[in-house]
Amino acid sequence: MEHPGEEFGPWLARQLNRMDMSQSDLAVRLGLTRAAVSAWVNGRAEPREETKRALAEVFGTNPALVDSRTSDVASGRPLRWHHRTAHADGGREYGNAAAFAFDADMSVLAREATQNALDERCDVGAPVRVHYTLHELTGEHLSSFLAALQWDELRPHYDRAASAEQKVSRSLRAALNELESRNSLVLLRVDDFNANGLTGPEYHDGRFAAVVRRQLDSHKQSGGRAGGSYGLGKATLWAASRFGLVLINSTLSEPHEGRTERRVIGRLDLPWRQVDGEAFAGPAWFGEPDTDPAHKDVSRSWWADEETVRSLHLDRRTSEPGTSFLVVGAHDASGDAEDLRDLHDKLVRSLGDGFWAAMVGGVAAGPLLEARVSTLRDGQVVVPEERVDPYTRHPALSRALQAHLDGHTVDCLTSEDQVARAEVPLIVTPLKGRGRARDKGREHLAVLLLTPAADADERHSRVVCMRGNRMTITEHRPRELPLGTMPFQAVLLAGYATDRDGEDVALAEEFLRASEPPEHDRWDRTEELTSLYERGAVSRLKEFRSDVDKAVRALVGRRETKRAGGPAALRELLTWDAPNAPTRRTQAFPTVRGVSAHVVESGAWSVTVEVKLPAADDPWRLTPVAKFDVRSGGRPVVGWAALEADEDCRVENGDLVVEAGVRKAVFRGVTNPATHPVRSGYARLVVEVQKARGGSV
Amino acid sequence: MTAVFPYPTIFGDVELRVMSVSVDNRELPYAMISATDRAVALHQAGRGAWERARLRLSVTFPEAEISSGPWSDVVFLAVLSEKATNARTTAVLSRSADGTMQGTIELDSVAHLRRATLGVSVVATVEGVAGRLVGSATQDWYVDLKASTPARQREIDIVEVDFKEGEHEWLRPYKESAWIVETTGDVPTVYLNTGAIEGLMVALRGSGGSPAERMLRDLAATQIAQDAWTAMFHTAVSDLDTDEDGTPMLPKGWRESVLRSMLPDVLPGRQPTDALYEIVERRTKGYGWAEIQTGVQFAAGRRSRATRNLTNAVRSVQNLEGAGGAR
Repeated sequence: MEHPGEEFGPWLARQLNRMDMSQSDLAVRLGLTRAAVSAWVNGRAEPREETKRALAEVFGTNPALVDSRTSDVASGRPLRWHHRTAHADGGREYGNAAAFAFDADMSVLAREATQNALDERCDVGAPVRVHYTLHELTGEHLSSFLAALQWDELRPHYDRAASAEQKVSRSLRAALNELESRNSLVLLRVDDFNANGLTGPEYHDGRFAAVVRRQLDSHKQSGGRAGGSYGLGKATLWAASRFGLVLINSTLSEPHEGRTERRVIGRLDLPWRQVDGEAFAGPAWFGEPDTDPAHKDVSRSWWADEETVRSLHLDRRTSEPGTSFLVVGAHDASGDAEDLRDLHDKLVRSLGDGFWAAMVGGVAAGPLLEARVSTLRDGQVVVPEERVDPYTRHPALSRALQAHLDGHTVDCLTSEDQVARAEVPLIVTPLKGRGRARDKGREHLAVLLLTPAADADERHSRVVCMRGNRMTITEHRPRELPLGTMPFQAVLLAGYATDRDGEDVALAEEFLRASEPPEHDRWDRTEELTSLYERGAVSRLKEFRSDVDKAVRALVGRRETKRAGGPAALRELLTWDAPNAPTRRTQAFPTVRGVSAHVVESGAWSVTVEVKLPAADDPWRLTPVAKFDVRSGGRPVVGWAALEADEDCRVENGDLVVEAGVRKAVFRGVTNPATHPVRSGYARLVVEVQKARGGSV
Repeated sequence: MTAVFPYPTIFGDVELRVMSVSVDNRELPYAMISATDRAVALHQAGRGAWERARLRLSVTFPEAEISSGPWSDVVFLAVLSEKATNARTTAVLSRSADGTMQGTIELDSVAHLRRATLGVSVVATVEGVAGRLVGSATQDWYVDLKASTPARQREIDIVEVDFKEGEHEWLRPYKESAWIVETTGDVPTVYLNTGAIEGLMVALRGSGGSPAERMLRDLAATQIAQDAWTAMFHTAVSDLDTDEDGTPMLPKGWRESVLRSMLPDVLPGRQPTDALYEIVERRTKGYGWAEIQTGVQFAAGRRSRATRNLTNAVRSVQNLEGAGGAR
């Protein structure tokens, strides 16, 4: 068997609970003493084979199940919503405060959910794969999904919650109205594969309870390498749902209750509300009513069948461990993504921006992450599956990291496609009470990579600082760079991101994590840092930053800033091409805007010329002149065979007359091949409109 | 002014990049290459005599357009040339794995003097005629043999030297004057005489200081700049090439920049070529040449911030007197 079933004792206890059968009842049915049954339940003994067969008969199942214990006997109990009743002390929460720690922005959701997946990587030899699916449901598809969700049962709770005057209620009201009027709902599914899944017991410490039952529980066990530490990230999933509703299907990396696949539960976060005279506190869970006396009737996760997960849009395609979160009524509160295509693009962009580093692989270490985004409407593909490619959004940065992983870095740049590498020391202050007197701390060598910026880079000349599993913490702008420094991209790898092991690495990782606020977006003074570490921790961070600046300056190369000699006061008066030179106004003279031309059969050029004119009080009199363009020396003039006005002008004696106030004129012309010094096929042509010489208007 | 071709040419952008440079087989630091200024500086302190530089190039091009277009036998050529020495070197680029055209081109130090231009020509067979130019790099690069900083020349050179005792023999006759503007070379140069007026250089170089010092500095700078712009303009409008119909052509380099900047102030409301034609006409035929001077003076004055600096000077004198009167 692939995975051994559950222990006999707990399995039997649960079956008895589920069937509402007492230990003595069972003893009577089997013709044994209650003490014997009790010994089984407490794990002191296991029944003999023939007793197991008798047991199977009592439970109305086949003996193989009693042997394997990979599932429960009785078919599932009816699924239902369990709403937490209001606190006895009368306290009310009008919303989940943790959800307000972040903006309900798609990019924040992508960052937090993907980081959580990365932190739960299962097989460290392969990347975690995340897949974001946007799915809009309308009509038939929508109603069958809502039916599977028991929407009718939830509706009174939503209505009551939406009728309050609080902030959460107002947005809930808008969401309900929109669902009604547009009859459409956007689901966002976040799947991860090769991740641990929500393991652990229903209510006690473990990954499952940390995500489903608790707030601010950061159950991170990935050897101190985790990105987060506050346990806030998961709240973004609920914040991204306009209905505060998320369904979860997890395939576990280690069996729970003897099973791994399709552990399903739903969780709803609503503000305090009163329905049918009863007050409810906030959260509600969708699942099987628990039979365990300690948690009687609480909805617990259940081991769903394939049909159910399909109807809830939760099927995971493979049996690889990992979790699928389904955000019901997904939206982007920032307001800059309006339709499905926008949302899709925003997800691709955010994943590329947030995790390009984790997606780059090289010889020394493969990629940590693979990300995909796809978009559907009623089961039909709207935007085909798109793999997020780190090189698209961040070519130079990705190249820098790749060179580091491949071991192709250089000490000093000589070419545009090279990556320079330097080490920057970070002194990790000892923990309070641990250090010896005058112990300055351990030195950790962070890695700085620098390469010339790519043309397409929107932002450059900054240092992207990362730690852990290559999580971007902050973008640091180095100070005191000499003027005229080349645009560059740089990455700073600290802690585990250096791909090294050792005491200093672990210490640095911990130290830096302690210096991050909940947003994990800078290394600075935090309460944790000052309370856990000896004095001087903040100064060490400052020194670290200035050492980074110094290393950057050394790598970009010393370039003389003084371009020309002489006093500055004089030099600034003697620059040409200066962007703010006094005469950079709109051009106050006629210009040729566009020429379209071709050679006709007779060998003549036929041209159509658009002329742009400035505002003027007097009419313009211009002479169109055609010349053959030559590489050097004077250009031969070509005569016109015909010249005619096309738009807003007239031709008089070979001159073009344009009335005052006209801003655009078009004329056509055909050259006289007899005046061509060479065959027209061998020459380039230019057309100018010069001020008529001689006569005046 | 863009020329039209009698056969189809490439519409998309052809972009040239210098990836790395080696001088006599030693790699140059990347800081000597500037992708933003499209310039390479070959001069390195400590090494004057070198023989050959090799530049590694990469060219991006509109691949789909070229493969589907009416061109065959498409060849990418890197062209390194310098007008002053009439040197012209080419190198054929070849297709690399990442989809760009790459190759190296050599620069012989004996064939070049000061600054070489590096461009790309795309040559192909069109409509049965081989060897036609169908595209070129949108922007050329400069390879500067004398510079130690890769940058486009955007400013005049300013040299501080003692006319009487300094290295430049030819400045001796001008030892009485405080400055000289020279516009014969590749780059116009202002020579400031460090030996002429005691204290002038100190005042010019300083920053901040008392109102009187600032006033002196600004006015001196304005005066020098006015001379320089006027001299540059006159040099730029002389000795022009003309087309067959007598229309003068805009010169290249700093002369073009100076003319494009100043002509709209000298003869407002005219195209640069029209204005240039007018100026050349008046100079050669003699009529109206004096009026042009007014325009030149105005244009030079604007660039030297004459009005602003004089206004400031007047104010500070008033302030000084006001303060004196209160005492």
